[in-house]
Amino acid sequence: MTPAFEALVQQLKRLPGLGYRSAERLALHLLVERPGRLPELIDALQVAASTIIRCPECGNLSEGGPCSLCADEARDASRLCFVEHVPDLLAIERSGAYRGFYHVLHGKLSPINQVGPEHLNLAGLDARLERMQPAEIILALPNDIEGEATCHYLKETHFDALISVTRIGFGLPSGGGVLYADAVTLKSALEGRRAYH
Amino acid sequence: MKLQAIALENFRNIALQEVRPKGCGVFFLGPNGQGKTNLLEALAYASILRSFRGGGPDALIRHGEKEAALRLELDHEVLGRTEVGIRIRPGGRSATCDGEPVRRLGEMLGRFPTVVLASGDILLVRGGPALRRRFLDLVLSSADHGYLAALQRYHRCLQERNAWLKGDRPRPGDAVAAAFEAQLIPAALAVTRKRKAGLVRLEASLGPLHLRFSPGVGPVGLRFLPDVAAETEEAYRELLEKSFERDRILRATRRGPHRDDFAFEIDGRPADEIASEGQQRGLVVALRFAELACLREATGIIPLILADDVLGELDPRRRALFWENLPGEAQVLATGTALPEGGLPAGHRLFEVREGRFEPANG
Ligand SMILES: [Zn+2]
Repeated sequence: MTPAFEALVQQLKRLPGLGYRSAERLALHLLVERPGRLPELIDALQVAASTIIRCPECGNLSEGGPCSLCADEARDASRLCFVEHVPDLLAIERSGAYRGFYHVLHGKLSPINQVGPEHLNLAGLDARLERMQPAEIILALPNDIEGEATCHYLKETHFDALISVTRIGFGLPSGGGVLYADAVTLKSALEGRRAYH
Repeated sequence: MKLQAIALENFRNIALQEVRPKGCGVFFLGPNGQGKTNLLEALAYASILRSFRGGGPDALIRHGEKEAALRLELDHEVLGRTEVGIRIRPGGRSATCDGEPVRRLGEMLGRFPTVVLASGDILLVRGGPALRRRFLDLVLSSADHGYLAALQRYHRCLQERNAWLKGDRPRPGDAVAAAFEAQLIPAALAVTRKRKAGLVRLEASLGPLHLRFSPGVGPVGLRFLPDVAAETEEAYRELLEKSFERDRILRATRRGPHRDDFAFEIDGRPADEIASEGQQRGLVVALRFAELACLREATGIIPLILADDVLGELDPRRRALFWENLPGEAQVLATGTALPEGGLPAGHRLFEVREGRFEPANG
């Protein structure tokens, strides 16, 4: 194989979920089997890289300014749902069981993985809570040790004692997260959320 | 449960071998290093998904092969005739039960219980606390999945807290540490409570068994030595606060159930000091029989007894007592370099083992 090919495989291999074999297969597909698609892919990557940002309000994906969810005035402003990652938000949206706003943390506390509060999307959180004054906060973080610790941390350091805080995850597979639950499980997990102390 | 058949493929020195025990017991006879222990190790592996001799998957896979596989046919009290499959690869292991993949390997614990008697067992009395904790953790995890869950939660919280202590400038009362301690404390209390109760149950079974192996020597006790005496969350939190400064310097959580221990006592005195060698060996055999009784009571399943050459270490009187006191319905698979003096008990089959091959020797 050529050095340029090897360099491409090495780059692909760094993507989540790709081992050397699958990276090699992808590279061959792009370069040899379907080279015609390559310019489209490069374009899409460049456009996405230059336009997609984190929504300054919630941390969701956005193309400048608030994301489509934060801009949607029909949504229920009395509820705010905390999720770990963007795909969790998408999974809850697909379930159709929730019409409030979101806050994406982009991680969960884990000293083992060197993730502290400063690595989470918390910088604008207090100001956002002040503006929104939500009646209910829903914690849709994974029900593992780190997800639970993050809930505890948020409640102790960011939430007013008067806000009602609820936790989903009951009925979700233990150690699993929102992303791996099907829509029905997720809907019942949201409907069966409990007060979080 | 009763083992009907076990097939091993590329497990240690065994290339391909099927053994059908038939009956209440099997004795594997052969010189050392021929593979007798490997067969018992395979059976125990299917039960606890790890080797009782230690060592990772790499050590278990036959040299030059990609994976090892085990297949067990069992007559099971709950599942009826059932087939267990295990695959061991360098990266890990997987299990199937009647063809269905087992999603969480923790579910396997206690489902196919075995009790292993091995020559290192005497170290439970004489050796360090880590061995006794491992023994207790394995028995209690097999008997109670709530224990396993609490233990896993505790260890994860402990690792997170230790990582936090190793980070830059941990301060007392930090909100991140508090978030993990809020989960560590209830898990630690649950582990300690269940260990205490488990030792009481084990001790109750052990007492009469020990007296059969060492008449007139006793009473025998298992004294729990918890590292943390606190029984409430408040008291535990106070202890963590008090030891914070030391933890910070050591960059690790010093106190907690990860340092628990228990001691064998005879008439209130340490067994490792006052009991003779023979009494200590009898004591650990009695302990294994007590383990069997506890597992049987908790799971409703009679464990297989896997006796790895321990008989060679018992004196002739206790060797006879071992065979006399075997729990009636339990199937025993024993290895040895010589046959028992009194001959094999009725109904036991004999296999001769040479170079990883097992040949039936008494029809
Ligand atoms: Zn947004």
